[in-house]
This record gives sequence, C-alpha cells and structure tokens, in this order.
Amino acid sequence: MRIGSYELKLEKRLTLAGWETTIISFLAIIFALVLFSIIFILAGVNPLLAYKEIFSYAFVNSYGIPLTINRFIFLLMCTTAFILPLRAGLWNIGMTGQFFAGALGAFAVLYAFGGKEFNNPNLIPEIIIPLMLIAAAFGGAVIGAIAGFLRGRFNVNEIVVTMMLNFITFWLVAEMIKEGGPFMNPGGRSESFELPPSVYAPLIRNVPFTIFLALGVAVLLYYLFAKTKIGYQIKAYGHSPAAARYAGISSFMVPFLVFVIGGALAGVSGYHYFAAVPGVYKIARNYGYFGDLAFYGIICGLISQGNPLAAIPVALLFGGLSIGGRFAQGKLNMSFGLDYALLGVLMIALVVFQFFFRYKIVLARTGKERSDVGIRR
Amino acid sequence: MWEFVARCLEASMIFTFAALGELTGQRSGVLNVGVEGVMLFGATLGFITAKTTGGYLLGFLVGIAIGALLGLLHGYFSITLGVDQVVSGMGIWILGFGLTTYIGNPYTGPLGMPRIPDFLGLSPFFYIGIALVAILWFVLSKTSFGLRIRSVGENPSVAEVSGLDVTKTRYICVTVGGSLMGFAGAIYSLEYNPVWNYNFLMGWGFIALALVFFSMWNPVILLGGSLLFGTLWQLSLNPQLVLPGVMSRYIWRTVPFFITIGVLLFMSTKWFRNRWGAAKPEALGQPYVKE
Repeated sequence: MRIGSYELKLEKRLTLAGWETTIISFLAIIFALVLFSIIFILAGVNPLLAYKEIFSYAFVNSYGIPLTINRFIFLLMCTTAFILPLRAGLWNIGMTGQFFAGALGAFAVLYAFGGKEFNNPNLIPEIIIPLMLIAAAFGGAVIGAIAGFLRGRFNVNEIVVTMMLNFITFWLVAEMIKEGGPFMNPGGRSESFELPPSVYAPLIRNVPFTIFLALGVAVLLYYLFAKTKIGYQIKAYGHSPAAARYAGISSFMVPFLVFVIGGALAGVSGYHYFAAVPGVYKIARNYGYFGDLAFYGIICGLISQGNPLAAIPVALLFGGLSIGGRFAQGKLNMSFGLDYALLGVLMIALVVFQFFFRYKIVLARTGKERSDVGIRR
Repeated sequence: MWEFVARCLEASMIFTFAALGELTGQRSGVLNVGVEGVMLFGATLGFITAKTTGGYLLGFLVGIAIGALLGLLHGYFSITLGVDQVVSGMGIWILGFGLTTYIGNPYTGPLGMPRIPDFLGLSPFFYIGIALVAILWFVLSKTSFGLRIRSVGENPSVAEVSGLDVTKTRYICVTVGGSLMGFAGAIYSLEYNPVWNYNFLMGWGFIALALVFFSMWNPVILLGGSLLFGTLWQLSLNPQLVLPGVMSRYIWRTVPFFITIGVLLFMSTKWFRNRWGAAKPEALGQPYVKE
C-alpha cells in the first residue's frame, strides 16, 4: 500500500523480542475488547459503561475480588497445564477432563476416609488435605498420561484424544455424583456430597492456599524452560521432533512427560475449584460450566506465547474479565453466556494477531530500497 | 426396531455431512479442527432462524451460509494470513462455543414446529447424504477439478508451477467444506434433536474430525464410518436395546468416545500406516507461501 512517497509493506520477523511480544499481546486484548463492544451495542448497552462494570466488579469491588482471585488460581493452573505441552509443540485441550478427574480424585480420598458421614473423627486435615491434593494431581495425570502415551508411542493425534477424554470424564463425573453414584449428595440433588468443614482448604486472608501452588508452578516452569536440560529437550522437541530425535531426545518421553505433568496441574485445579474455593466445597451440579471455563487456559497460554511468567498477569486479567462479565450480564440484564462470548471473541482476536507475531508492518520510502527485499503480498 | 434404524441413519447423516465438509478441506491441504464450532454456529443460527420465521428452509439456508462464512474465515486465517491451521481451527471452535452460548441462550427450549416429514420411511437427509457422498467421490477421483484439489493438497508448490491456483482452490474447498459442516449442525438442531440448550453438541464435531482420519480421506469409507458411529451413538443413548442392565447410562455415553480413541490408535499403528499411510494428503496442515 502506498501513502505518498512512502510504502507500507509486510516483513517477516526473524526474531521476536520480549517487549514486542508484550505489545502485540496487549494490542490483541484491546482489539478483542473493542470487537466485543459490538455485542454490547447489539444488546443496547453502552460498551464503556459495561466495561466499567466489568472491571470495577472484578478488580475493585470487595465481593468481586475474591471471586476473581479464585478464578485466577484456576485459570493459572489450567494455563500452565496448557503451556507445558505447547512448548513441546503439542496441544493439550483436555484441561477440562483433567480438571474433572482431579475433582474426582480429591473426592475419592474423602469418600475412602468416610467424608460422607456427618462429623467423622477420622478426617484429620493434616493428612486428608495433602492426600486430596495428591489424588487430584494423580487423577489429572492419569487422564493426561493416556493422551501423552498414545502420542508418544503411537503418534495418535493428541487434539482428538484429549477432547474425547474431556467427554469421557464428563460422563464419569455424572456417573459418580448422579442417580445413586457413590459421591452422590445424600439429599439427592444431583451434586456430590459436601466437604466436611474440618477439611476445608486453609485460607490465608480469605484466599485458598492453592494460590501459592499456582504461582509456584508458574515460576518453576519458567525455571524449567530457562535453565534445565529437560526444559531444553522439551523446547527442542517442540521446534522439530525429528531433529530432537537425532540429538538423542526420546520421542516417547517428551510427549508423555509433558502430558503427565500438564494433566497433574489441571487436576490440582479440580481440587482447587471444588474443595478450596469458599462457598463451593462440593462438585457442583453444573460442573460442566466450570469445566468449559478451562478453555480460557488455551487463550491465556497462547497470548502469553508459552511463557509461564507472562501467564500470571494474563490469567489474572482473564479471571477478572470472566467474573466481571458474569456480573455485568446480570446487572445489565443481558443474556446468559457473556463470559463465554468474551472467551470466543478473545480467541478469534488472538488468531488474527498470530499474524503479527510472524510479520511486521514496515513504513519505508519508496525507490530507495531494492524491490526484491522483504516479503510483499 | 425400524424406528431405531431410521434414527441411527439420521444420526449417521450428521456425521457424514460434517465429516465430508472436513474431508473436502483436508484434501486441499487445509486442516480445520474447529468442526464443532462451525456445527454449533450452523445449528444455533439455523435454529433461531427457523424458530423466529417458522420456516425450515430458511433455517437450513442460514445454517449453510454461516458455515460457508466460517469456512471462509478459516481460509482467510490459514491461507492468506498463514496462521497455524490448528490455532485458527481452535479459534473457530472456541468462537463458536462461546458466541453460540450467548446468542442461543434466550432461545433455550424445544423448537416447537411440526417435524420434517419422512420420505419413504427415512429422513430426507439420508438420500441427500448418499447422493453427496457419490458426488464428492466422483468429483474428487474422476474429474479434473478433483485432481486439482488433490494435487494442491499433496504438493502445493508443484501444483502452482503446473499452473494451478493453490489459493483459489483451497478457498473453494474450505468454503464448501464449511457450508457442509454448517448444514450438519442445522440438521442436528432442526431435525435430529430440535431442542436448544447449553453446549448441546457434546463432541459430534470432534468425532466427525476423527472420522476423516479414519476414512483414509475417501468419501465412501467415510460413509461407512459415519454409519458405524451414528449407530454407536444411538446405541449409547439407548443401551437397553442391546444389553439391558449392564452398566449405567452415563457409562454408556462414554462408549463412542472410547471407540474413537481405539480407532485412531489402530490407524496409528505401524502395521496400518505401512499399508495405507500414503492416503494422507501430504501438505495437510502446512500453510503454503508462494515464493
């Protein structure tokens, strides 16, 4: 495109600096929010007012902030579960299933120790809570391991497999909590039995301790990628599995490992949401809704370009947006599903901006440069 | 019993249409993992149109149109912008899931229209589906246009050098493919199960995606796979027909998904790949950049 004696053209990026990534990601989010105002306008709502409601509820309001933080912990766990395989070039879209499996694992521990009985003295929190966490991680890891094993050993498409596992675990949860399943609420309300108050997750200033797990994992993953051999092997595999194999990196171990650990991380988010968030403390009847929110992890992971530290602010922002969106929808009398619509628009904006991660727009004087330099379209 | 068979065929046709759409795109080298998203859009908008205007035809047309539009969008991302096709497909899927949840929610509930009449005891879409399989098979393997599609999917640079327009061919394929997926969604929400509720597809699109891998990119095998999975799906909803009392109904619902994984696993074994592995379009999933 020509403007006067200048020409706008596209150039392929050879390198991408950290600050450039940050700017592009930031612009992508702004673009999505602008695009999303169409939805507010169509619903007859002033977008500025709507965004004011969303942000003030999520980040200022004293009722909203705890919700945002709990959602943030959940999203950060799902994001790290997505990032780890992503760096190996693999797509884990099974956070939903791993999340369900984690919840089932945690409740299986309770069930085994008689948590269904009223005031059971066997429930010693110092033992039960760590066991629940381990079981949740184990549950998620098992689901992840299936996908990782099939990918590593037989090269089965991990996208389809993780998605199938999402549906399988969805129905497994239904089996466990509904119609006489072992975890059914004695009141028969199609939800699981409630967590006994003695084993509620410890709160630190009203925030579940799981926040430290989530933040710690993000930092550890950053360290893993930056400093360790296994992190290097994962990245090498992600760039080129064939080249990695010639360099002696096991083409079975990498996919298997990233999916097992990723699954465990998403599994812990199942413990977090159903056993640590104040006011929930059971596998809710509408667990499917919570599970589908795990897909926000995909967007967080992609926007932060697979960087676990960058995922922290992104997950916080998206946690707030999804909480604020749900609030604004009620306050402004909008239809259900505003937070899901926002999820969709953010995702598609991100796809558009993938382009800018690969190309940059350059303003150049015409005639001074040779015409065969750079890529033009 | 006949009713059950008819129902199975109806379900099979949804898989057939969606998977044929995916197959068309994949033969030209474009992978769209967002089948479920396109189907959700076709189903939701078709449902809303039919419910508000009271006309089935308009509902189906809207479903097809939105499918084509999303196919075009996927094409724009993956062909023109050169975005990773998996990323773009994921985007289409999540967009479909997110937006249709919001758009469709006020219309939650049954469609409330007289059912589409059967033709010779079967759903009319059965005949359309069979015809479509035949047409697509003929076009892909017997016509010069089909050869063009296949060569673009196998080796775009060679195709370009031999004078084929890679970009145009791929655009045609993804758009037609998208319209078929949208149509499949509309069949689901207007005929197969005319009720709208939250995230109602529950995996149909992803099974359709797996069916394409399963079909070795051949429309006729694809029809066979769709019939198998349509029957399976129907059986998983009515387990009392085969094994009454064995396993609860929730466990039965997982069966089609387990079998999908099993089939994919079988196809990924060395034994299988050594025999039929060449059927996969060589350039599948790779963006083509003209040098």
